[in-house]
Amino acid sequence: MQITQQTRKALLDLAKKKRVYLEGNVLKVLKPEAGDNEFKAYLELCRSKDSTARKKRLEVTKRVQSQNKELEKAAEDNQGLLNKLQDALGEAERLRDDALEDLDTLQKRTQFELIGLIVKVALIIIIGVGITTTLLYTIAMLANKDTTILGNAWSNLFGILLTNSFSIIGTIMGVKYATEKN
Amino acid sequence: MIDSILLIDDEDLFHLVFEDACSLLDMTLSLEALNSSDEADKLFKKWFEEGPLEERPQCVFVDLNIIGSSFDGIELIRKINTDYGNGVVIGIISSSDDNQEIEKAKAVGAQFWIIKSDEIEPRLEEFIKDYEGYQAKAAPFKVYK
Repeated sequence: MQITQQTRKALLDLAKKKRVYLEGNVLKVLKPEAGDNEFKAYLELCRSKDSTARKKRLEVTKRVQSQNKELEKAAEDNQGLLNKLQDALGEAERLRDDALEDLDTLQKRTQFELIGLIVKVALIIIIGVGITTTLLYTIAMLANKDTTILGNAWSNLFGILLTNSFSIIGTIMGVKYATEKN
Repeated sequence: MIDSILLIDDEDLFHLVFEDACSLLDMTLSLEALNSSDEADKLFKKWFEEGPLEERPQCVFVDLNIIGSSFDGIELIRKINTDYGNGVVIGIISSSDDNQEIEKAKAVGAQFWIIKSDEIEPRLEEFIKDYEGYQAKAAPFKVYK
């Protein structure tokens, strides 16, 4: 493509006075007239400037593109690490919950064992006292001894022991119920 | 020199790289870049149904996976070649070198496969040498590695 003399002059003046040059693909289609060395040199200068600018831009763009890829990779790695951390945190929380549950079970077991021991001791005492008193009362009756005091004592003692037995059983049931609810 | 090129790629930075590389290699007079295969599909549909066909680019470079589009580059090539009258030199430009995808592209009429890398210029230079063959539909399918 060739341009008019007026446009040619305007372009050359613009380059000389303002240092503004044509750029882009239009330079690929503009051709100087045969023998017009000034315009030919102008077009060559424009092409050279355009090519230098594009080379620079291409270099920068490629660098940015490469940095972007690195950033994307780093972001992926970070996400991977974050996921691993979250998994580890979840696992730690699960282990903590398990440990708390084990501790709770252990405490309950200890409580039950203690209650069991108390019950056993209480029952042994109750049965022991009951048997002892009954034996004394029986021996006294068989030996035709005075049983007035022993009979009253046996009756009172048996009443108290029975009441206490039910009281103990009631307490045990209450503790057991309360513990199960917690 | 190719009169007009259309690039379809979701990566804006690659548009700049491709434009500058094409300019430095004196590869084309006009380059248009689109971000989605849907936009390209609309354009080709319009050219096919309403014309003028001369407005179509001479050569089309399509990315394989175009993020934000309804379909990938291979489907776009199939549509252009089958539904919209063919008639353009068309191929894939992608960072992938998956053989299965390459075979799929070949099957739908892609004429070339250029693998994107930091140094795209040597591949484009090689492509320019083969371009006439693609235009004449005489050159075989080629992968530029």
